[in-house]
Amino acid sequence: MAECGELVDLEHRTVSPRVFTDPDVYRAEQERIFARCWLYVAHASQIPQPGDFVTNYMGEESVIVCRDADGRVRVFVNSCRHRGMRICRTDTGNTRMFHCPYHGWTYDVQGRLVGVPQYQEAYYGELKREEWGLLEVPRVESYRGLIFASFAEEVESLDAYLAEMKWYLDTVLDRTAAGWVVLPGVHKWSLKGNWKLAAEQFSGDNYHVMAGHESMVRLGLLDQKTFMGQPWTRDFEVQMEKGHGWLNLTMADPPALAEVLGAHQAQVQAEARQRLSPAQSDLVGCIYVGTVFPNFSLLSFVGFVTVRLWHPRGPNRMEVWSWGLVEREAPPAVVELARKMQILTFSPSGIFEQDDGEMWGECVEAMGGVYRRRFPLNYQMGAGHGRRDPEKPGLIHPPSTEISVFGFYERWRALMSDGTGVHA
Amino acid sequence: MSAVELRHEFEDLLYYEAWLLDHDRLEEWLALCAEQVRYWAPTRTNVARGSEEWSRPLMLAHFDEDKGSLTLRVQRIRTGVAHADEPPARVRHLVSNVRVLDGNAEVATLTSNFIVFKSRRGREESLFVGCREDRWRRIDGTWKLEERLIVLDHDVIENITVLF
Repeated sequence: MAECGELVDLEHRTVSPRVFTDPDVYRAEQERIFARCWLYVAHASQIPQPGDFVTNYMGEESVIVCRDADGRVRVFVNSCRHRGMRICRTDTGNTRMFHCPYHGWTYDVQGRLVGVPQYQEAYYGELKREEWGLLEVPRVESYRGLIFASFAEEVESLDAYLAEMKWYLDTVLDRTAAGWVVLPGVHKWSLKGNWKLAAEQFSGDNYHVMAGHESMVRLGLLDQKTFMGQPWTRDFEVQMEKGHGWLNLTMADPPALAEVLGAHQAQVQAEARQRLSPAQSDLVGCIYVGTVFPNFSLLSFVGFVTVRLWHPRGPNRMEVWSWGLVEREAPPAVVELARKMQILTFSPSGIFEQDDGEMWGECVEAMGGVYRRRFPLNYQMGAGHGRRDPEKPGLIHPPSTEISVFGFYERWRALMSDGTGVHA
Repeated sequence: MSAVELRHEFEDLLYYEAWLLDHDRLEEWLALCAEQVRYWAPTRTNVARGSEEWSRPLMLAHFDEDKGSLTLRVQRIRTGVAHADEPPARVRHLVSNVRVLDGNAEVATLTSNFIVFKSRRGREESLFVGCREDRWRRIDGTWKLEERLIVLDHDVIENITVLF
């Protein structure tokens, strides 16, 4: 059997279906991708106070993201050191202690084991409590409110990992001084499909829009021309080092939206011009779609911003967790519009989201047969045609192109084929 | 009208409504909604007993619709290229536990439970379970749905291609 990395053909720019369907590849990914990369875990606004916590997953690993008594964010593996029981079974809350429901071991928000029932009687006081604190994810860093963690102690800094992507993230997350807060509630849904199909699509697949969302085109809500009006300057895709991708598109807001957003947008744009470079502030108000490798994506569309995780749940199952981000000082009408548009378009019932979900599940089922999987998938669009822009980082090309989509697999290949001997 | 008569009247109406939804008569279902309808389904969270706040004003929801957005959803199905429901799923609404909480000849609030089964292409079967809290108002002689709160029992849900 081939080494995992050989499933991505750099010369011909093709990807084997086995990348999406093979359980061995999936298992190898858990070690080589999810145990090594920076993974998004929470937004700072979700845990403002000491003791605030949310639970999440890093790949398949259940974690608690907690602000400790000193205000520092810590990420713990959500599993008791005694028998492995999940110690925190709520989505969110505030606490001083995490108390395991099975035998009662208790940890404080610094992760220290502070309570052991029958410590004297059963353990004769001999248990070395200081050695049995919660497993703490060794690296936690944040960028513009986005908190990431990594299981790899030796991983480069988050700053170095995000690299060129920071410039694009800043056009959204740093455009105002007040910053962003997460709306209450999380859209969580389970669907067929390999997590990478979703991550790659958000890294820059503009090509799918007209066919995949054809119902929106027929209703007059999308128009191919709207994504092509300002090629290179405001309608472009970016392939970045480290496998991140970004798509920047222009579309005039429908009049009803423009009426609510107009004044606020003008204010944001004015502030952005003070804070960002001219090239960045020119992009304020565009549609943005981006993926931070491996499974974190951001989407800004028709007045809302969502950040989301594509949690892997087997070769053909993913769980999407999606949050709404709103500007801290946005007027109530703008916030309410953002919330409603996110629900209407990109939620489990979303009139765009549903189309994408249909594709991801059907792809994996249809390409997994013994014969089909011998033949690779085509990622050749735009190869060699990306350009450097003196004002914007990354390799750029206007829609439609797949340079950043294949860039995702170049990074995947590099991580999957580092010669540590895991074979698919 | 007695309480029993009112409950019978609404049971008939809810069964009729379910029949419309199961038989792709979505335009007729839309006509049951008042012009000012609010149709919403908050997300659910796993938190300590008694502390769930799904009715918070800014809570993300699976639906938060008005007549315009419901109409858009139906128009989208009618394009014939809403891929997640093409070919269409077989859908069955089972409605039960109907309770009229408060009502007279003009306005009524009621709750009902539902199970919605969806089956499609042999490999895709979904169940959606929950409770609805409705307010219906008699407008021009017929009952119209003025508000529907859909309390889904799922925290992690599947693609929602059905109406409740």
